[in-house]
Amino acid sequence: MIWSSLKLSLLVVSIATLIVGALGLAFAFLLAKRNFRGKELLDAVLTMPLVLPPTVTGYYLIVLLGRRGLLGSLIYDLTGWTLVFTWQGAVIAAVVVALPLMIKAARASIESVNPQYEIASYTLGKSELETFFRITLPLARRGVLAGLILSFARALGEFGATLMIAGNIPGKTQTMPLAIYEAVASGDDRRAQILAVVLTAISILAVYLTNKISRSQVYG
Amino acid sequence: MLDADIKKRFGDRRHPAFLLDVRFFVRNGITALVGASGSGKTTCLRLIAGVLTPDEGRISVGEQTYFDSSRKINLSIQKRRIGFVFQDYALFPHLTAEQNIAYGVKADDRKTKYDKAREMLSLFHIEHTRRRFPGEMSGGEGQRVALARALASDPAVVLLDEPLSAVDVETRTKLLDEIEDAQRKANIPFIYVTHNEAEAARLGTHRITLHGGRIAHDKAFEETA
Repeated sequence: MIWSSLKLSLLVVSIATLIVGALGLAFAFLLAKRNFRGKELLDAVLTMPLVLPPTVTGYYLIVLLGRRGLLGSLIYDLTGWTLVFTWQGAVIAAVVVALPLMIKAARASIESVNPQYEIASYTLGKSELETFFRITLPLARRGVLAGLILSFARALGEFGATLMIAGNIPGKTQTMPLAIYEAVASGDDRRAQILAVVLTAISILAVYLTNKISRSQVYG
Repeated sequence: MLDADIKKRFGDRRHPAFLLDVRFFVRNGITALVGASGSGKTTCLRLIAGVLTPDEGRISVGEQTYFDSSRKINLSIQKRRIGFVFQDYALFPHLTAEQNIAYGVKADDRKTKYDKAREMLSLFHIEHTRRRFPGEMSGGEGQRVALARALASDPAVVLLDEPLSAVDVETRTKLLDEIEDAQRKANIPFIYVTHNEAEAARLGTHRITLHGGRIAHDKAFEETA
């Protein structure tokens, strides 16, 4: 039981972190480098999962992606499949709650890069996209990496939204935080202790790495 | 040759906080753009490079029009063939001297880019900085790499924004010689912004003096000598 929830957690969190990395960078670039109508509203919407109770975020996910949800009904009509009570649903929950951390860290880091470097790159004939990947991103990489690790840790600890959309099915959608909850509820203290220690160790390592990266000197 | 007729307002349209209104013509050679702080020198360079867009006017280099408000032409910064040397060099801190120069070389294959970068390092006598990062270079070395990078991108005009303000007097004299030499070899217009009259007199075959966003004097040095 411990092993299966650890394996599932690592699978969910790995995929979620990859998605958060790609989406987070795209949104961070958009918010840092582009001016458009509704920019602050988009920022607010993307930040919401950071301040909303996770169960509320989970409720919105059901409204959107549930079998009778706005998008979920469309997916169900087309494929006969629904995200609800699947491990993929747990991935979506993890992505939604972790994404704001990645966006905030990456945006701040991208905005702190001296724009003179980007202008220099443009005068050397490079496009905005090439400049982003070859100049801005390498210079912002510490903040981006820190955001990614924090997102990983947040996704790993995700409970409320996962419970709402993916449920708590042992071996199928029961990630480590859910397994701890069930172990405590059923009086299995030993299992709860082991899971809590493993989760704490991974979280401490993540925060340690974030601090180390944030303080590291990059260039000689 | 560069021909510029530029108007740019900053602030309120009717009562602008600053108005740049200049018309000048620059031949191959070094043109010193002189003026006090706030006279509009750097703004001029940024408008020519395409970092800023003029409100109206025209900018052309040789046969190519970079900007023309009446014909609604506004070439992107990437297409303008400008070599820009920034006051603080703006060398990419995560790239070595060689990588900084190779970055701007317009070639498809890596070998051509790095061959050109090494050629430029040799031209400016800074081969020893090849694997050094900007943080590991002296002011003079950084300035040479910045100039080499600007020239390696095959520019039609080079804009230098107070490039020697951060180097000592001895290095400055050497670098002024090297800039003159680089211009002779490239045989394209160099516009050299400075507030230092002695530097302008030492370098420019042509001097344009800006005051409050307008041209106060525009003379070839032969005439003023």
